[in-house]
Parts: sequence; structure tokens; C-alpha cells
Amino acid sequence: MSLREMDLNQNPACATNTLSNYLPKDHPDENKWADCVHCGMCLESCPTYEITGQEQHSPRGRVHLIKSVAEGKLELNEFFSDPVFACLDCRACTTACPADVDVGGLIEEARGQVRQAMPLTGWQGTVSKLFLKGIFPKQTRLNKLGSLLKFYQKSGMQTAVRKTGLIKIMPDHLVEMESIMPEVKTPVKEKYKNEKVIKAKGEAKQEVAFLTGCIMDVMFSDINQATINVLTRNGNDVSIPQNQGCCGALHVHAGDRDTGRELAKKNIEAFKDADKVIVNAAGCGCMLKEYPELFPDDPEWHDKAEEFSKKVEDISKHLHDTGYEKPKAELKKRITYHDACHLAHGQGIRQEPRDILLDIPGVDMVHMPNSDRCCGSAGIYNITNPEMAGAVLENKMQSVPEDVEMISMGNPGCMLQMAIGVQKYGRNQKVVHTVQLLDWAYQKEDGKGDQ
Amino acid sequence: MAALKTIKSKDKHILELAAIVGGGRSILYQKEDLLAYDCDGFTIHKHLPKAVVFPKNTQEVASLVKYCHENELPFLARGAGTGLSGGAIPLNEEVIISMVRMKRLLSVDMENRRAVVEPGFVNLKLTNSISDKGYYYAPDPSSQYCCTIGGNVAENAGGAHCLKYGVTTNHILGLEVVMPNGDIIDIGKDGVADEPGYDLLGLITGSEGTLGIVTKIVVRILKNPEAKQTVLAYFDKVSDGSQAVSDIISSGIVPAALEMMDKTAIEGVEAAAFPVGHPKDIDAVLLIEVDGISAGIDEQIEEILKVCRNRNVREVKVAQDEAERGRWWANRKTGFGAMGAISPDYLVQDGVIPRSKLPVVLDRINQISDEYGLRIANIFHAGDGNLHPLVLFDARVPGETEKALEAGSLCLKVCADVGGTITGEHGVGIEKREEMRFVFTEEEIAAQTDVREVFNPKNLLNAGKLFPSPGRCVEVKKEMKAAQTS
Repeated sequence: MSLREMDLNQNPACATNTLSNYLPKDHPDENKWADCVHCGMCLESCPTYEITGQEQHSPRGRVHLIKSVAEGKLELNEFFSDPVFACLDCRACTTACPADVDVGGLIEEARGQVRQAMPLTGWQGTVSKLFLKGIFPKQTRLNKLGSLLKFYQKSGMQTAVRKTGLIKIMPDHLVEMESIMPEVKTPVKEKYKNEKVIKAKGEAKQEVAFLTGCIMDVMFSDINQATINVLTRNGNDVSIPQNQGCCGALHVHAGDRDTGRELAKKNIEAFKDADKVIVNAAGCGCMLKEYPELFPDDPEWHDKAEEFSKKVEDISKHLHDTGYEKPKAELKKRITYHDACHLAHGQGIRQEPRDILLDIPGVDMVHMPNSDRCCGSAGIYNITNPEMAGAVLENKMQSVPEDVEMISMGNPGCMLQMAIGVQKYGRNQKVVHTVQLLDWAYQKEDGKGDQ
Repeated sequence: MAALKTIKSKDKHILELAAIVGGGRSILYQKEDLLAYDCDGFTIHKHLPKAVVFPKNTQEVASLVKYCHENELPFLARGAGTGLSGGAIPLNEEVIISMVRMKRLLSVDMENRRAVVEPGFVNLKLTNSISDKGYYYAPDPSSQYCCTIGGNVAENAGGAHCLKYGVTTNHILGLEVVMPNGDIIDIGKDGVADEPGYDLLGLITGSEGTLGIVTKIVVRILKNPEAKQTVLAYFDKVSDGSQAVSDIISSGIVPAALEMMDKTAIEGVEAAAFPVGHPKDIDAVLLIEVDGISAGIDEQIEEILKVCRNRNVREVKVAQDEAERGRWWANRKTGFGAMGAISPDYLVQDGVIPRSKLPVVLDRINQISDEYGLRIANIFHAGDGNLHPLVLFDARVPGETEKALEAGSLCLKVCADVGGTITGEHGVGIEKREEMRFVFTEEEIAAQTDVREVFNPKNLLNAGKLFPSPGRCVEVKKEMKAAQTS
């Protein structure tokens, strides 16, 4: 039966159950789209709608298509997968939506369906399998990759690749990434593997467990170190459960809900003795808080996930809520702040990091217009959809005030993407994590560090 | 052109249309890609267009229109698609000309208080672009976060602040229009407020996209008021609230906005994304704003507070700062979408009534709600008598859509019967075509379609909107019956 013959006109009250083109496993939640009344208030919040002007690349358009599959009007094919995978999953629409429609959750459920129906093949399939199944979930391999990168940077190979022109045959977006890759250091999980608890300086107020993150700990172990420094300075004993793993956000974003569930279970177990789980990567924090969504049909794990997710807290919110020492040393810097999507839209954390920055003497905060607009990083979106990610980044960089020295934020993915932006558009800002600035101020106060 | 090679259609018209806009990503033509365009903010009727094209400039619009005109292809213009009466729904397999990529602010002339925008420019962006210089664009439909000014012109959009400042038509100084045969015309003269001859600006504004496609708009911009105060007042009885509205107006105050929500509407906004803590057990909340020069504002507020107290207000408060004022307005302006939090679907009506009739009309609407077993929330631009009954229903329940349509129609009948009319700002579109008969005779409708003939003789542009077609009434009833029994 053709689409037009289906008589779209007379049949808004489609009998969802009988016509659905969804596969039975991980069926998207009908109640989520029932909230959407198609008002369009989400349109302007959406970076991909801003760029394309096309409704199927807007939040309400995507919800409309997700609903259309359930109504039997659309099949699980590329016409569905394109809009659903072109979504940045930035959640700006959930902030804009008057009816609190969980567009992000729907998108992830829809992606799960697409990947069941259309497994990735060819080059894309190989790459995705390698990273999502072969590397991110396996900490040892990730560390090896880290060592390899370290080798690449230290051995002179980086210089060689750049000099010999080998770099010219890499795709543009990989060249961009290669060029801003931070210097790889020892992961903190490795460094503290023999310490059950890293003791607070002075009297301990509480003990917290720290999720080090997978890429975070390889690429940004200095931020993890800064996080530990800041926590211990402010009365937190810190534990780093060694059996923790990747949070699974990248897998869930990519539609691989099975691996997402495996990783969720692993982390729920790893942190079962913790009272509080501190995260410094917004994307991971958001995922951990949404673990219950992965177990709609598994009451036992759903309950465990619920209990776990209540313990999760972003570092900035934790510091804000439990108190922190205001640094006394001055950091004379002009700084602007970028709201990571999964912090602002995903977790509603906007003011806390700004307050931390404002508490550092000498910091001159400059307002960034549209600070909660996505930068285009979006997990591995900048690798899978380089063109759209580039367009989103270009818009973002136009909002970065010209005369600031640093751009602060709370998510490693954004940091990489913004660093690409700084380089690509000939800007000179340093991209930093909010806790790093606080840590630097403390170090300066103690007469250490060069910041 | 490389972009054209990616077009997979064999349809000659698709290829020609694609060539005009440069192919590639400027045209959608495969059925699945068109699904997202099968309705606008009015979701009860869904129809697929033939194609959606995305022109970048007036010339491309004119070429597209000319092509459609010569090849007898039905077509229509679409902005953000937030319209609530179905004006952008393709009833006749139209080619949709999407104006969203023509979204530039072309110029701002502070001295003469004018701005020139392309039709796809978003309403609120205009105010945001000029607010640092102390100016704003007055018409503020609740969808202003995302609706386009082109769409505002087509629908003659209103908004909360129209009580004092007037609707879109009062702010349009000039238009560039592509006529239904592809000719480009300019209406309105630079810097002249009112040209001699017929008021074509007035005719095009609010013509619901049936007389031409607007491609450039000169709008009036206003200086920000020196002072602004906002009041919330809670009433235990709707009648007290509406009496307070009448008393405020008759006391000589012209508030910038005077809004009311009833109990069910309050339940919706409080359950949704922008709650402000309205008590759940009150019958009506009034949101009142006064603005103007600073001198005298406090006296006006005092007078308003006095009026409310005389009408047994339970609680009344003045916004303490801009943030609080912003929260109150976000709560009100997202009111329609908020219904999603308490109902899977809604149908919003748009009646206008004499203010004094509000208690009677609300009683009648409550009766309709009971008769049909459907909840009806009321959001009301109380100051200018523009009532929005929101009929809540669940399209998944067989027959409920039809019941909602009937209930909505009856609400409009009530408005017409008390001396009001069937639409204040959302337009007639598809939704209220039949209800036009509540307020116009056959002859009066025919006189208006004669006007359309002059501009749009082939009736290819947005056909089937705004007016009932003769004999249509019977057909609709048949359709409804068939849908109910099937």
C-alpha cells in the first residue's frame, strides 16, 4: 500500500498497536510522543533546523516521524534514520518545549530501532564496531590507545606525520582533531589504582566516588586530577572504584542499547557502595542519570538504576551544594562560559559553574550570547556527521566574544570541538574545564603552578 | 549543476522546480521526506504536498510561482508552520514554497522607526536584534519564539499586547509581494504611512496566503516603554475576574495586556515546563500589564489593585523584578503547548466576544464540555474579548477527534450568537471555513471570493482555505458521520 493510499487525511486516530512498523524489542515509548501537540515552540532551539530549515530535521518533525512509524506511515529505512541520526541529541528542544516532551529519549529509542532493523555495514559498521564495542567499553584497550597516542606525540611521529604530508590524506575533520589533540598523560584511574581512598586535606565531610570516564581519563587526565584536587581540598574523601567503565552514552546515542545496558549494569555494580557519584563530564553525568530509561521492561534493574541515578552529581553542582573554599589568589583572566548541552539542557545546571568562576578573584566574566547552543561535538557526532557538526560549530564560534582569553565549560567533548573551532577560525582562546580554573586558583594561592 | 544530479525523480515538474532553486537540499519530493509537512500547528487534517521547495530570494519565489501558474500546479507558502487553523496544510497536493531560508533582517532605520525583514525572519528575533538600542516590535503572538513575520502578515497575527498596540496590520508599512501569476509588486511607499487609493496593505495582511506571497516586509518598530509593571490576580469566581476586567477598562486605563486563564488552563500550565505556582483551586487568574512613561504608572497599578479587591480577589501581587515578570509571561505564552502535559491532543478555538458576555459564554462552554464529555480549558485575551477555548481530546480514541471538532465549532457558535465572531487572530484556514457561515451570508462570502478572483483567478494559490465552498457543509457532515461509523 502506498503512503498516499494509506489515507493520511481521514485517519489521525490511527490504531497504533496494529499498524506499528517498530520491532517489538525496545519499542519507543508511546506516551513520550503523546505529549507533543506539534506547536512548534521547539523549532528555533534546534541547531539542525536552524541550518537546514527543514522540518524533518526539527524536533517536532522528528517526533512526528517517530510517531508516523508507529502509525504505519513510515518504515524503518533511511528516510527515517537520516533525520533521527542527524539529531545532535543536544536536548535544547526539551528546554524549549512547553509540554516537557522527552525528545532526547525518543530519539535514542528510535535509534535503537533503526540499528536493530538496519545494522551498520561496510566502513561505517567496522569503525563503529571497533570504537563502540572494541575500545570504549574496554579500559585496557583504551589505555593502550592512550599510550599509543602518547607515543605518537612524544616519539616525533606526530611531527613526522605533519611534515611528511601524510596528514594530507586524512579526512579534513580528522586532521582538525589530530591538530588539537591534548597531550596525553597517565590516567588517574591508573595513577591511584592502589589507593582505596584519596584522603581529604583536613577534616573529611564526606566520601564521594568519582567516575573518571573513559576518554576523559585518557585524553584529559589533567582535568580528572584537577577534579580530585578540588574535591580533596574541600573536605571530600575520594574513591575511584576500579571496576567502573565507560558510561555507555556514546553507545546509546548510536542506537546500541544492548551494550548501553551492559555498561550501565557494570557501573551500577561498581558504584553500589558509594553514597555519591561525582562526574565531571556532562555527557556522562546525563547518561548515568538516565540509566533507568534503559530498563523499561526489567523491574529489578530499573529499580537499581533509579537508586543509582539519584546518587549521581556533576562536580559543579556538588561543590555548589556542599560548599567550597573561595580561592584567595587572583587569576586575572577574561573568561566566557559555554553551557554544555548535557549540563544545561540535560541536567538543568547553568548557574552553579558560573558561580564557581565568579568566586575566583580577578576573573572577568564576559557574556556569551546563545551560550547554551550546541557546539556540534555531541558525543561522536563530529566524527559521524562532520559536515553538519562543522556548520553548527561555525555558528557557535560566531558567539564566542572576541576579546576573551579563555572559554570555560564542563564537558570534554565540547572542549575538543571548541578547540577545533578556536584553531579553525584563527582565534586564540584557551579551552578549559571549570574545575581546572578553580584548581589553578588554589594552586596559585599555595604558591604552586604557573597559571 | 551537480546538485541537480542527485534528484531521483522522473517527474518533469519536480525536475523543473528543482532547477529553479538549485536542486540538492533545496527541494523535498519523496513521500517519506514530505511527511513532516503534512500538517502545521493544526493537526487534525493531514495531507501530503507534492513537493517542498526552499527558495533563497524573491526572484526564485517569482520563478517558482510563475512555473506553477503556467503548469496549473497548486501551491502555497509556508513559514514556521505554527499556524493553528491549518492555513499551511496542502489540501490539493500543493507545492509548498517554504520561506524559512529567506530569514534575513535587511535593514533597521531607527530614525524613521522602521525595519525591513524577509518573510522567514522570526518574530522575536526582531525585538532581540534592536532591544539594545531601546526598540522593539510590538505584535507578540504566543508563538513569537519561532513563528515568522511572513506568517504573521498572512494571518494578521495578534498577541497578548495587542490590546494597547494593535495587531500585525497596524505595524506593516510596506510589502513586496509575488502575485499568483509570478509578478512582483511593491505596496506601500517608503516613509509614507498611508498611501492614497485602496488600502492594499490592509487587504493582503490577513488574507491567509490566498492573494499573494509576501517576500519582503517593512514593519514599524517602537521605542521601549519607559516603565512597565505586571500584576497577577487570583479569583475564586470567573464572574468576579471578568467583572474586574470590565472595571479596569472602564476606569480609563488601557493596559498593555490583560490576560485570563481558567481552572483547567491553570492545571495545564502548572503541570508543564514553566509552572509559577498558581493555586490549583482558583477559578481564574488575571495577568495584567501596564506600560508607558514612568509618571503615573504606580497610580495605574494602585487603581488596578483597588478594582481587583472590590471584586473579591483572593490574592493579588505585583512582579518584583524582570525575572519574575518573565516567568509569569513564559507560563502564559506557552499555555497552548502546555496542554500536551494534560492531554494527548487539543483543538484551540479563537472566538471573539464582547467582554461583558464572558461569564455567560464560559457557562455555555462548560455546558458544551459536559455534553461532549471533553475537558475544555480557556485562555483568554480578556482585554480585547478574544477567547481561546482549548478542547482537550485523545485522537487515539475512535470518534473523539470528531467530537472535539463539533464541540469546538459549537463554542464558536456561542461566540457568534452573543454578537462576537469566530476568529480573533488565528485565522480561518481549514478549521473555521464552515463557521464563516455563522457570521456571513452566502452573498457576503461570495463578495469576498470575488475579491480573491481578482488577485488569484486560477485559485491555484492556497485553494480551499478561508471560505466554505458552496454545498461543502453537507459534505463535511457526511464525512464526519462516515468517520464515526467506520
